[in-house]
Amino acid sequence: MSSRATIYSFLGIGLAATLLLIVAPVAYAISLSFYRMDSFVGTPQWAGLDNYARVLSDWTFWRALINGFVYSLGTIVLQVVLGIGFALVLNQVFPFRNIVRGLSILPYLLPTVVVVLTFKWMVDGSIGVLTAVIAALGLPPVSWFESPAAAMTSVILVSVWMWTPFVTTTFLAALQTVPASLYEAAKVDGTNAVQRFFHITLPMLKPILTVIVLLRAVWMFNKFDVIWLLTQGGPVGATEHLAILSYKTAFSLFDIGGGAAIATISFLILSVAVFIYFRLFPLDTD
Amino acid sequence: MSSALAPRSLASRLGLYAAAIVISVYSAFPIYWMVISSVRPPQELISSTALVPGAVTWEYYWNLLELTDYPAQFLNSVIVAAVTVAVTMVLSVMIAYAVTRHRVPGKKLIVGAMLYAYMFPPLLIAIPMFTVFARMGLGDTLLSVIVSHLTLTLPLGVWFLWGFFKSMPFELEEAAMVDGCTRLGAFLRVVLPLSLPGLITVAIFSFLLSWTDYTFALIMIGSDANKTVPVGLASMIGSFDLRWGEIMAGSTLIALPLFGAFALLSQYFIQGLGAGAVKG
Repeated sequence: MSSRATIYSFLGIGLAATLLLIVAPVAYAISLSFYRMDSFVGTPQWAGLDNYARVLSDWTFWRALINGFVYSLGTIVLQVVLGIGFALVLNQVFPFRNIVRGLSILPYLLPTVVVVLTFKWMVDGSIGVLTAVIAALGLPPVSWFESPAAAMTSVILVSVWMWTPFVTTTFLAALQTVPASLYEAAKVDGTNAVQRFFHITLPMLKPILTVIVLLRAVWMFNKFDVIWLLTQGGPVGATEHLAILSYKTAFSLFDIGGGAAIATISFLILSVAVFIYFRLFPLDTD
Repeated sequence: MSSALAPRSLASRLGLYAAAIVISVYSAFPIYWMVISSVRPPQELISSTALVPGAVTWEYYWNLLELTDYPAQFLNSVIVAAVTVAVTMVLSVMIAYAVTRHRVPGKKLIVGAMLYAYMFPPLLIAIPMFTVFARMGLGDTLLSVIVSHLTLTLPLGVWFLWGFFKSMPFELEEAAMVDGCTRLGAFLRVVLPLSLPGLITVAIFSFLLSWTDYTFALIMIGSDANKTVPVGLASMIGSFDLRWGEIMAGSTLIALPLFGAFALLSQYFIQGLGAGAVKG
């Protein structure tokens, strides 16, 4: 086989896989959003923009949109702050450092379902270990999922626990790239650790931090499993965001066109973030 | 940071140790609690929150393996993850190699689509996929789960190996080709062995994505017999009574392969995270 034939057959397979697995589902999802369909095997009927009109005129859509922003913003801020804090600690020298570094990654490896089940077990009303700790501290019992604000807070806390290690690990790796001489020079000038962090570390790591925040923002906005498993969007829709609304619309109400329309709208919102990403980090294919 | 090497005061050293302990407990305690709860005898489980159990029992594990669909579901998860990893590796190596080694049309489309797909809302893929599989009469099959997992793992593989191949000098294969190797031969004998670390990273992260996935398996699978472990385990919590011992035993068993892999291959995990091979 000639060199060109090898490359082109690789490329052909690649293009086919991309079209089949990535492009076709998205194109099909978008086209479904223009049809009325009340069963997955039924015949779709052209509906024009009806699905969009219906979805956008329903206040639950706007509530879901706001919930999604609250959830993403809350989780990102906490993850980034906590992750940077952890990375700064793990970058110091202390005994058993590698073990502590390893432990700090573990939450990220766990399946969401394991995290959620363990959390539910730990906060169980009668025998949960966190419930016991809270009682031992003399604090009033916490109802983690009963009020809308509590449910949103719980969902955010569990998500932060799971995904902070991503920030910790990436930021820790980036810290090694800051030249030590910068810190030496600043030390000679009589700066303290806080000043060095804000005037050297943060400015040097701004590009990587931008990537982290952008990627995390997109992923948190898209998260479905953790919220679904913890609250199913409840109580009374307090943690229902676009992914859950789309799931319920398509798979519980069997309004498949409506579910596809919500997914398409999330896709458009997220495309703004992707667009910003490509502007900041142009694709270098040469 | 060299400041860490400088002599520091006792107070700041103690502060550092305290912070390290807080990080360890915060990260590992829930996992420890999960494992411990899975071996605590029933009487103790509902009455005691002692840090170390008084006695150890394996009964939850036996119940799980003998009385539930857990073993079948575990096997489903293994099949799904194994096929997903294998297909991801083959396809992503070919795609990434083609786009880094040749000026070809469609290259930007592939790499751009892959990066974009990395960030798709799950329902944007799940709704059309479920529709297509239902219409083909292939709803509720492991095949549908595998195909949906590929939409997560393939972008990851291509994106990661693309970066990996870009940094590998062309001269290596050119030398082999001058020596009479064909392009395919050079690829198989020179490029592939050298990309082993990259391939391992892709395999690890594809496995992680497929093994831990809940969303796609929830949507694609309806019957208990075809569920993967995450979905099967989640449905235990809605059932007649909450059997926390069994639930924690089941959770420990899904987490175990991941921790084992991490202990053996932690440097690949960390490299992969740094180079953008990430899950959710």
